[in-house]
Amino acid sequence: MAGVLVDSAEASALGTAAGLRRRRYLALVTGWVGFVAIWWLLSVWMDSDARLPSPGRVWDEVWIIFNGDPTNSRNDGGIFWNNFLASVIRVLLGFVVGVAMGTPLGFLMGRNRYWRAFLKSPVMIAGSIPGLTYAVMVLVVFGISFVGPVLAIGLISMPYIAINVAEGVGGVDKGLLNMSRSFGRSEKQMFRDVVVPSVLPFIFAGVRLSFSLAWKVGQLTEVFGASQGIGFQIRRNFQLFNMPAVIAWIGLFIIFMLVLERFVLVRIERKLFRWRQWEREG
Amino acid sequence: MAKVTVSKLAKLFPPPIKGGDVVRAITNIDFEVDGNVFVSIVGPSGCGKSTLLNILSGVDTPTSGSVTVTEAGKPAKLGYVFQDARLLPWRSVMDNMMYVRDDASEESVANAAKYLSMVGLDHTHEMFPGQLSGGMQQRVGIARAFSVEPDLLLMDEPFSHLDAMTARSLRDHLQDLWSRTRKTVLFVTHDVMEAVQLSDRIIVLAPGGVIYDDISIDLPHPRKASDPKVATLQAEILGQFENMQIPAVE
Ligand SMILES: Nc1ncnc2c1ncn2[C@@H]1O[C@H](COP(=O)(O)OP(=O)(O)OP(=O)(O)O)[C@@H](O)[C@H]1O
Ligand SMILES: [Mg+2]
Repeated sequence: MAGVLVDSAEASALGTAAGLRRRRYLALVTGWVGFVAIWWLLSVWMDSDARLPSPGRVWDEVWIIFNGDPTNSRNDGGIFWNNFLASVIRVLLGFVVGVAMGTPLGFLMGRNRYWRAFLKSPVMIAGSIPGLTYAVMVLVVFGISFVGPVLAIGLISMPYIAINVAEGVGGVDKGLLNMSRSFGRSEKQMFRDVVVPSVLPFIFAGVRLSFSLAWKVGQLTEVFGASQGIGFQIRRNFQLFNMPAVIAWIGLFIIFMLVLERFVLVRIERKLFRWRQWEREG
Repeated sequence: MAKVTVSKLAKLFPPPIKGGDVVRAITNIDFEVDGNVFVSIVGPSGCGKSTLLNILSGVDTPTSGSVTVTEAGKPAKLGYVFQDARLLPWRSVMDNMMYVRDDASEESVANAAKYLSMVGLDHTHEMFPGQLSGGMQQRVGIARAFSVEPDLLLMDEPFSHLDAMTARSLRDHLQDLWSRTRKTVLFVTHDVMEAVQLSDRIIVLAPGGVIYDDISIDLPHPRKASDPKVATLQAEILGQFENMQIPAVE
């Protein structure tokens, strides 16, 4: 009897979980449909492609971006992937630069209190400089170039990574280090098997934290100083008064950022830190 | 068959607050342990037991005096079991066993597996420490220490974080392992009953880190907690302790 009771309670608990999920999807879909509907109504009311193009017009542009424009030979089907890849590669390289600069700084800050005192304010200040400053700075120094955006992304993400790494290094479990020492492990082994795995999640957290910021700065520098990339396309179409294309590129940018963040980053993190799902208190 | 010699050992720690007194963790102790004996070190909290083991294992250094741990004249190989399991959370149980070993050959893996099996953890090789209960983690820690086949095994209150039932079963595991391998063991505990059940000799420390007493226990191994001879001896030594009236640390 008791078993039956538990079963039905469990079943209804599961039922509500599924119901909850269904309701959440419903809310999500209603939200998007409502958004597009309002957009469409507004565009009908404003009746101006230059100010607010309709969803249909933007969709046509999205289609052109992917499949090419039969009326314009310069705009073939490769335009999306070329520009998209240019942006993604810049951001990835920028993160490589940011991690390469931020990790050693973080180690110095986490290991040694003199270095911490010395580096803390510069790193904090670097972290609070607005992205636009970096974008303009690299444009002034490098002009229209490939290095500029990469460096700007590196500079904007560096403080986040440094501060996170410093925290991670400070938090390495002394008990595990002592254990390693008493079993005769070398400094190199301890670094590779204790310090690095402890700090890695913190580096990742730094990347996650600066991710959207880095994308924004990347786009900003592209708007001013690049000849390819999503940001460059936004500026070019803006100069051509092609508002539907501007919105199409912005929309694609947002969608790809979400996909990258929600699916790619989170997946990598989950895979890399599989052991963490079993961590528990005490 | 390690030989441990501790002579005129002292350890001071800097004052915990500015202008305070230095902390005397250990004050001039001398003792020697020779051969495959199980020695317990008991004493109230803060009397320098962990400090002593840390110095013996080389994690900490003495302020004055010396310790030597040798095996047939050469530096001895150590194993250490801590109060908490101290497993690398990002490595599976088997990979934790392999972390403290120098070769990754098939024999080496088989050897690690053998010790896991002795503590009843055959099925856990691929599991991560976070998936094990506290008692299972502690068993991995014990298997790890035995598996390096140390000349001297240091154990620092390995059962004090566990509930009484788990602790009892692990004590049986430990006795079983020890009876099979007969290593030199230094076992820190504040549980007198546990010390009597497990050891051939009990060194009693008092606050300030001085040796208060040195008791030998002559009973065959392994000993059951329920064995009346063990129980009688436990009662007797517990009685002695009550008369000693070791002062508590402030
Ligand atoms: N790293 C350290 N720095 C300063 N003081 C320390 C340090 N380690 C230990 N002490 C001090 O030395 C004394 C002995 O400490 P120890 O940890 O050896 O005690 P213990 O006998 O193991 O106690 P317990 O049974 O509680 O584990 C204590 O007063 C402690 O505060
Ligand atoms: Mg202790």
